[in-house]
Amino acid sequence: MSYETIEVRPITPTVGAEIHGVRLSEPLGNQQFQEIHDALMEHQVVFFRDQEITLEQHKDFGRRFGKLHIHPSAPGPEGHPEILRIHADENSKQVAGHRWHSDVSCDPEPPMGSILHLHTVPPSGGDTLFASSHAAYEALSEPIKKFLGGLKARHDGTPNYNRRARIDGKDDAKQYPHADHPVIRTHPVTGKKGIFVNPVFTQSIIGIPEDESKAILEFLYEHNRRPEFICRFSWEKNSIAFWDNRAVQHLAMWDYYPQVRSGNRVTVAGDRPF
Amino acid sequence: MSYETIHVKPLNPTIGAEIRGVDLTKEVSNQQFDEIHRAFAEHCVVFFKEQQPVPPAQQIQFARRFGDLHVHPAAPTHPEYPEIFVIHTHKDSKIANGNSWHSDVSCDEHPPLGTMLQLHQLPSCGGDTLFASMYAAYDALSDDMKDFLNALTATHESEHIYRGRYADRGVDDAGTVYPSAVHPVVRTHPLTGKKALYLNGAFTTRINELAKAESKAVLEFLIKHMAQERFQVRFKWEQNDMAFWDNRCAQHFAMWDYWPEERKGHRVTIKGERPV
Repeated sequence: MSYETIEVRPITPTVGAEIHGVRLSEPLGNQQFQEIHDALMEHQVVFFRDQEITLEQHKDFGRRFGKLHIHPSAPGPEGHPEILRIHADENSKQVAGHRWHSDVSCDPEPPMGSILHLHTVPPSGGDTLFASSHAAYEALSEPIKKFLGGLKARHDGTPNYNRRARIDGKDDAKQYPHADHPVIRTHPVTGKKGIFVNPVFTQSIIGIPEDESKAILEFLYEHNRRPEFICRFSWEKNSIAFWDNRAVQHLAMWDYYPQVRSGNRVTVAGDRPF
Repeated sequence: MSYETIHVKPLNPTIGAEIRGVDLTKEVSNQQFDEIHRAFAEHCVVFFKEQQPVPPAQQIQFARRFGDLHVHPAAPTHPEYPEIFVIHTHKDSKIANGNSWHSDVSCDEHPPLGTMLQLHQLPSCGGDTLFASMYAAYDALSDDMKDFLNALTATHESEHIYRGRYADRGVDDAGTVYPSAVHPVVRTHPLTGKKALYLNGAFTTRINELAKAESKAVLEFLIKHMAQERFQVRFKWEQNDMAFWDNRCAQHFAMWDYWPEERKGHRVTIKGERPV
């Protein structure tokens, strides 16, 4: 694909690209917006460097791609319910997203994409890894593709968010969203198929015995994280990552304790997976 | 740790650092050499950035400062310099070297201490190398598991890997006997004194003291354990970068995701001691 208003540098042939030549603190022209969208569709996750943006500019950028999503367990700061604070420091007992997942897949309509801006990064460490669900699906054999193609899985946010609250010493007996989604989903824009189960939210595959479900899910989680499906992103101050939750899973590495890593995420609402 | 004659930039807290401020086409001073050695011991793998192509004789000379050189038991070598293993993958390649997790030639009685690879030609995208710290993988195990593993040895073999592997690059291996060896499952690094897991999915075929089913289960667990992202760094090459990794505490994985493009370079391998 060729781009006229931005420069796109792929990170691996499979997933991920850096985008240069755009300032996200300024309103995007229609062609730049279209090309960023094209690059996101092509590479599944895109990265921007040296972007100093305000919360308003961050939200404005997100809104170009759709309605903004409000997180079910972590409301944003005063006046910015759409902002999800991402923060880890010496007092953290855990960090968000340190296991492979697609954001909030427990929602009946999980987010289309997430846009994370980090303004504070540790001197080293704190990478984020992204795995292409399309590439992982393509690498499966035909019989297993056919088998999985007919199945749905139960996703539930309650065990994950309750457990996270417990680690932080909070009493959280709240119920969070749950939903049944196809194990293999079709991307609404590209038409590509991808594996859509993850170890954070997926509880079981529906309609098959528990032991079969467990074996298949374990296999898929291992398969998904094979190095050939992955790019590993090293953050700098004011880097932005924009990932398509319909096409990738991600994992945030917490290897920098007690250092500080801090920023804001805006999440773009999505559709019901099919 | 401080360095006076080189610039060392860790890539993450667990493994890997970039080194700048040294020109490997020239003789490296004793102090620079000492500091490179220190960074190598500290980070398990170092990457020399901003380099020019190092002539084969110079690469051999630099590597010899770390120890005697190892000649690969199976691979095609440079026509004039048998110590140079020519790494070359292109559109007709049926295999690429190191496309799964391994420690180099762990099937040898005295497996290589370290490996120094300079890449002169890169694909337009892809061809990363991943490195994993076997110190970190060991440290992450429970104390009970550590005690259990410390008493065990494993067999490392190569017949199943090397037989016929380089036939398409003109290597006739009829009559060649490929090495096998027994090594401790946990080895102690001679420089740092730290313990590291020392088995891998490529060469290790069984744990000797265990029943077959037990050996299979433990190997499967450890190979999966070692492949966790938190022990890794993923290195994206630029032309003429030189990587130098310590096979005693790191495993690596060379990603072949750039076919039909070409990737080419020179590897020199330094002999190591018997693992203890």
